[in-house]
Amino acid sequence: MLKPGTRYRSQVCTTEVIVVRPADITLHCGGHPVVELGADADPTLTLDPTAATGSLVGKRYTDGSGTLEVLVTKAGPGALGDGSALLVVKDAKPLPSSD
Amino acid sequence: MGVMSGIRVVELATWGFVPSAGVALADWGAQVIKVEHPGHGDPMRGLVPSSLKAAGPDAVSFMFQTFSRGKQSVGLDLKDPGARDALLRLVSTADVFLTNYLPGVRAKLGIDVDDLRAVNPDLVYVRGSGLGPAGEEADSGGFDLASYWSRGGLAHASTQPGDAWPPSLPGSAFGDLQAGLYAAGGVAAALLERERTGVARVVDVSLLGAAAWCTAPHIAASSLYDLDMMPMRQHPDASNPITNTYRTADDRFVALVMLESDRFWAPLMTLAGREDLATDPRFATAEARATHSTVCVAALDALFAERPLAAWTELLAQQQGVWAVVQSPREVSTDPQVVANGYVQDLQITPATSMKVVSTPTQFDGEQPAPTPAPELGADTEVLLLEAGLEWDDIIALKDRGAIT
Repeated sequence: MLKPGTRYRSQVCTTEVIVVRPADITLHCGGHPVVELGADADPTLTLDPTAATGSLVGKRYTDGSGTLEVLVTKAGPGALGDGSALLVVKDAKPLPSSD
Repeated sequence: MGVMSGIRVVELATWGFVPSAGVALADWGAQVIKVEHPGHGDPMRGLVPSSLKAAGPDAVSFMFQTFSRGKQSVGLDLKDPGARDALLRLVSTADVFLTNYLPGVRAKLGIDVDDLRAVNPDLVYVRGSGLGPAGEEADSGGFDLASYWSRGGLAHASTQPGDAWPPSLPGSAFGDLQAGLYAAGGVAAALLERERTGVARVVDVSLLGAAAWCTAPHIAASSLYDLDMMPMRQHPDASNPITNTYRTADDRFVALVMLESDRFWAPLMTLAGREDLATDPRFATAEARATHSTVCVAALDALFAERPLAAWTELLAQQQGVWAVVQSPREVSTDPQVVANGYVQDLQITPATSMKVVSTPTQFDGEQPAPTPAPELGADTEVLLLEAGLEWDDIIALKDRGAIT
């Protein structure tokens, strides 16, 4: 169960996140479940090439339902997923202006 | 360790001027926390400058990167009391507060000097404005094209005879960048005083004041000689023909600045293979060259037009007078002196995108700090608000009513 306000890390890359809004999913990164920051990673695991599109620092990611919100606090090559699909970026909307 | 390591700055500012001060402070080692509107952020994020529209999945808002690199971002809607309280918590731990918000807005939001000094009496409070904090127009906003370039006298000073209209600003946010560094300098002085006496000041910088500063010679001359500005001699009748700019055979330009011209005239002409000009009595002394300036400049026009730039740079390097090529900004970014001094650096924004940024032009012990990207909107809200003592439930409540991002 993902705890909001808790930080997690990828077991197979440098990605770190904070869970903003939880959902009933198992958060993955790079194809494997994440662990709490400070917990040990399983050293036998490796980055799954089908989940290697990267996580960008400062971006918020969500699942298909839009319930989950996870904020990347440290970037990494692994892609975030919910166990069945990769997460997508929640976009901010800048005001248009020109000079 | 930068000169301002350990200094915390809260920036509540938009566009170019005050944010560029934040970039300088970040380059100098300060932690700069940029407070933005939680929905759309700093409007600079969405600016399309000179019709250069960012597109594609890795679109780079190069203006926002230029003006907010190296900072953290917190999204707060200050009209919400909970979000305003979060700002006050951040400010209570800060050394410096930067803002370009107008006096009326600051009063309405309750974030003016007295409001913030109530939670932090040691806060250095910096106000960037268009027209200064005093006078009848102190409540008016300004942009650099209006307050700095036009009202500030620079457009007038840059207009050449025959121009149909005054020239544009030499670049986007040109005046903002000058005034921003003046504000950063003010912060450094105010922090120094605070260290020594404990007193924290209000620092004011305006675009209009910055413009007047750089036209100080014109203003002095206008007061002594009943003139609008110092007379600027044009190319054809430069009174010192070797302090002038010339066109080469390949339509490039070389600027000569040989102030003590008697030292440099004959050697330069000899080097260029023109003994006739070196010994021509009309051009033999500075006074003679001034008397015959039109003819002298015309002779130099013809001379410079005979060779391409590459030949002139090789030739001029062999004499002692000061000269320079008129370069494009792109050429500046790869100029060997610029590279050797680290004035322009590469900024890696994402693994796939990078752009060039200009280092703050004040170095300490010859160091240039490596640049880091501008933050995503609200990237640091959760982390900084937790650190400021908010509980997670408070954070979620603020999010649920759209008060923070």
